[in-house]
Amino acid sequence: MTAFQSDATTRTNDDVIVELRDTSVEFGMDRGTSKVLNEVTTEVYRDEILGVIGESGSGKSMFASAMLDAVPEPGVTTGEVIYHPEEGDPISVTDLSKEELRQFRWEEVSMVFQGAMSSFNPVLPIKTHFVETLSAHDYDIRRGLTRAKELLSDLYLDPERMLNSYPHELSGGMKQRVLIALSLVLDPDLLVMDEPTAALDLLMQRSIVSLLEDIKEKHDLTIVFITHDLPLVADLADRLAVLYAFEFAELGPSERILEEPAHPYTRALLNATPNLSAPLEEMRPIAGESPDPVNIPEGCSYHPRCPLADEECETIDPGPYDAGPDHDVHCHHWEQSIEDLDIAFEETSDSGTTASAVEKASGDPLVSLSDVEVTFGSANDGWLDFGESETVTAVDGISLDIYDNDVVVLVGESGCGKTTLAKTAVGLQTPTGGTIEYRGRDIWEGASGSTLADKEIRRALQIVHQDPGASLNSHHRVRTILEQPLKRWHSDLDGNDRRERILGMLEYVGISPPQDYIDRYPHQLSGGEQQRIALIRSMLVNPDLILADEAVSALDVSLRVGMMDLMIELQDTFDTSFLFISHDLSNARYIAEKTGGRIGVMYLGELVEIGSAERIIHDPQHPYTKALRWATPELEVDQVAEESPMRSIDIPDPTNPPSGCRYHTRCPEAREVCATQTPEFVDLGDDVHAQKSACFRAYDDHEYWQSESITDEHADANVGTDTDTDSGVTSESD
Amino acid sequence: MRSEDDSTTTNESTDAAGAPGSVDELIPDSGGSTDDRSDATVRSDGGTVDTDSPFETTSTVTETRGDRIDRFLEEYIRTPWSILRNDWRAMVGFAIVSFYIIVGTVGVYLVDSTYPAHGPQMVGAFENWDFPLGTTSAGRDVLAMTVHSTPSILIMMASGAVFTIVVGTFFGVVAGYKGGIVDTALSTITDVFINIPGLPLVIVLATLLEDWINNPVTLGVLLAVAAWAGLARAIRSQVLTIRNESFVESARAMDLSTRWILTKEILPHLMPYIVVNMVNAARTIIFAAVALYFLGVLPFSDANWGVMLNNAYHAGALYRPSAYHWLLTPMIAISGIAIGLILLAQSLDRVFNPRIRARHQDVGGDETLEPDAEDDTKEMMNV
Ligand code: SF4
Ligand code: SF4
Repeated sequence: MTAFQSDATTRTNDDVIVELRDTSVEFGMDRGTSKVLNEVTTEVYRDEILGVIGESGSGKSMFASAMLDAVPEPGVTTGEVIYHPEEGDPISVTDLSKEELRQFRWEEVSMVFQGAMSSFNPVLPIKTHFVETLSAHDYDIRRGLTRAKELLSDLYLDPERMLNSYPHELSGGMKQRVLIALSLVLDPDLLVMDEPTAALDLLMQRSIVSLLEDIKEKHDLTIVFITHDLPLVADLADRLAVLYAFEFAELGPSERILEEPAHPYTRALLNATPNLSAPLEEMRPIAGESPDPVNIPEGCSYHPRCPLADEECETIDPGPYDAGPDHDVHCHHWEQSIEDLDIAFEETSDSGTTASAVEKASGDPLVSLSDVEVTFGSANDGWLDFGESETVTAVDGISLDIYDNDVVVLVGESGCGKTTLAKTAVGLQTPTGGTIEYRGRDIWEGASGSTLADKEIRRALQIVHQDPGASLNSHHRVRTILEQPLKRWHSDLDGNDRRERILGMLEYVGISPPQDYIDRYPHQLSGGEQQRIALIRSMLVNPDLILADEAVSALDVSLRVGMMDLMIELQDTFDTSFLFISHDLSNARYIAEKTGGRIGVMYLGELVEIGSAERIIHDPQHPYTKALRWATPELEVDQVAEESPMRSIDIPDPTNPPSGCRYHTRCPEAREVCATQTPEFVDLGDDVHAQKSACFRAYDDHEYWQSESITDEHADANVGTDTDTDSGVTSESD
Repeated sequence: MRSEDDSTTTNESTDAAGAPGSVDELIPDSGGSTDDRSDATVRSDGGTVDTDSPFETTSTVTETRGDRIDRFLEEYIRTPWSILRNDWRAMVGFAIVSFYIIVGTVGVYLVDSTYPAHGPQMVGAFENWDFPLGTTSAGRDVLAMTVHSTPSILIMMASGAVFTIVVGTFFGVVAGYKGGIVDTALSTITDVFINIPGLPLVIVLATLLEDWINNPVTLGVLLAVAAWAGLARAIRSQVLTIRNESFVESARAMDLSTRWILTKEILPHLMPYIVVNMVNAARTIIFAAVALYFLGVLPFSDANWGVMLNNAYHAGALYRPSAYHWLLTPMIAISGIAIGLILLAQSLDRVFNPRIRARHQDVGGDETLEPDAEDDTKEMMNV
């Protein structure tokens, strides 16, 4: 009955490193038992990279925990988890004593978690963390540290500097890499990574993922990589497993899963994943929501959302069907699914944009930023000034016009100032220089403190935050949350009118029945519902420009396209302009291409390139945009593993940005002149597409072309390998 | 125009639609503003629903004043009650505090006041049922003395506690939220008060204001004079954090009134903290008052728990077993109310927790689905 009997010929038992037999994890809850892992049977093979894909609430974290018998109380793991060491007898992980378990974890199987970045003790230097780990497991400290140094430099970190730093001195990406090194210091055979890069920027994610391959080869590792982000592991993993509703939906070699997925959920998930190449029309969200663990549907758990569901599906749990070598699918109708359900990414077409960005960018701007500058931490900013206060220029002289009905998406790494710029544009952040005009009026005119004087302008500029949970006051019901803007701006409505408007709005955005929802507290709503409430709240005051700060990144992949569609629809209905912030180029592309908007790329407080979605995605001019493009994974298996187009992984210290072109420390095309002169915007647009780039390479005739290259001044010109330049925190001496 | 009653909504929207700057601004219409009026007319006839506009759905349920009152009761009475009912601490705390209040209000009428030579001297507790808790060396009834000092003690406590939290919360919230010059001014005042040596000040003031000091309200406030500043400072720092939360930023973006933001957006997040502090303030005040009376620093006109302790002490109750009851009765009275208040405070913060509130109402939804594995597993990895 196991999934892999059919493969007995190709795989011998020696190849298996961990096997799970009917493993379940249950939690007792007020409402009944919640099965967060439902009789999963699978095997992990030695030396492979297994990618486990699941949306939030699919049980993927439980899968990781069960593998190490680390399910938190009061969860109960049942079934078998068997670990096969290289030599010796198989170990039943669930039967290990506490002490044995402690030895087993880290020495045999190690894990890296997303939240683990905070697991460093802030008062101890990194070195102590390594030493403590080594001594707790009775390892030779000196040899261990040598290994640690080797690991660190494999991860492009400067070992000496890292070991002597304190956790707070490191950036998120560095901490995560140190953590990977720490988890490998005892030479485990299996590394389980649960969303190890989720909190990081795209560029960093991609860089870490591309390092994993080398690390795996060098240290003979088996890796289980758990993520919600399918494209991220698409080209890394040997096999992919798709989890849905606490069970595997499909498991098979990556090419098969990506090119010929058999399960309807996998096919839908591929369609719902925003990416750079698929035509927009074929991206669509998955209807419905993931099931409640207390109440998993009978039969196939996907049947309420499945277009092919029939009676059989509602009653009989689909066992694994063999859909090809090594490819198992839990669906009765997988053959039909392959035939009838299209997947989007297969063909690439250049879909036409709806309205051209150039057309939109005509007439008077709605909001016009000119030379805006925002500096934080100025020297006279507090009582406790110890003299060496550092100022960070988050936004450095950016000009940007936003028109009526316009969409601008700002992308960039965290710390590039995109949020600060956007908040300044909607009057929620006071600029330290430059002006912001709303229909020709300076918005800060007559303002006192951080409040705009003109209430009409205040109304016209609204915000939707990134974390829907935090943007709704947890103490108010939906009714109160939505009533307030109406009370403030439509005082002529009475209680019943307000209620109706709210009910109507809720229904419109697909929250139904609205009567059920109006009395709920935010914590009783799912993330998608919270975000929709936040969205209509800002819509209720009838704004002209809405800042959507990473408004979809907190949502599940399958809901993102739906949310973005809703925003676009509301934009149409309400004639608003949107200023989106995204760290994800695929989301940016989706929005901008669908609305004919523009994408602006920011780097270290400067706008380096802006243009229509088409141009930014398919013909990026600025080397940094190209790097972002590289970092955005595609849904393809064997994309040629291109070298990173950056010379260093980490961002320079923003308190001391590089001179000249700020990107010159990482730019693969940098020449001497880049370090001294600052490039201006060059207009590269044509009638249909807008595009401007701030790079000397955009000039045909520039001193740049005669200048010496500065990329190969280090002996090993290999991309990214010189540990000196990637230090990041300290700025470069050369 | 604002009919809060159960008149039909369609009429209401006619009014609304006619008014300048009305909701119709909200209804986006490619035809521009001239179309709005006709659009509204159609709608006011009731039921012509433009499917594209999210505002046009009409609801069949019309809310009446009764519903609103019902909702109010639900929010402020039934839900808190249902939460507290299941919590023994709350029930015990309530019982204790209610007992004191009953004693302080009804009890004074049931127990006659006492006077010297009311009964025999130094009767022990439970010996003579005319004087269940015994008498003092002057022959005064201990029970009567205890009962009759309850009202003034309660008033003193309440006024001190209320003063502390009202002033402390006001200073803290306003300073934290407003920032800038307001913050500087309010924080300076707070800092001045924090550094005032409380007890000596009270003693000095007590001598200066001898006439007033017998008023329990004045005394309560006086004892709280130095206490609110600490609370103000703590609240200010919390507000500084909350002020940057997304929901406050949204509220500011929508230009909701500062009053709304302070009282309805920020304050609920501080309520558990404020309640705990209120109870602590009450406790501190009663202890301080008793201590001062005991030391004989405060002038007094009538017996109260502190004065009783003082008298008992001077009558040698510490080493005379026959006078123990004189000492113990006020001590038990004081500890009793302190315990009652603590229990109450501990349970009250549940009332402010929206998760718990929701569970006690019949609206859907439940706790988060998947238990958060991260923290614990992390712990396990840490050797
Ligand atoms: S078993 Fe049925 S319901 Fe489940 S995925 Fe297959 S076709 Fe859909
Ligand atoms: S100006 Fe120079 S350093 Fe900057 S992006 Fe262009 S080539 Fe690279």
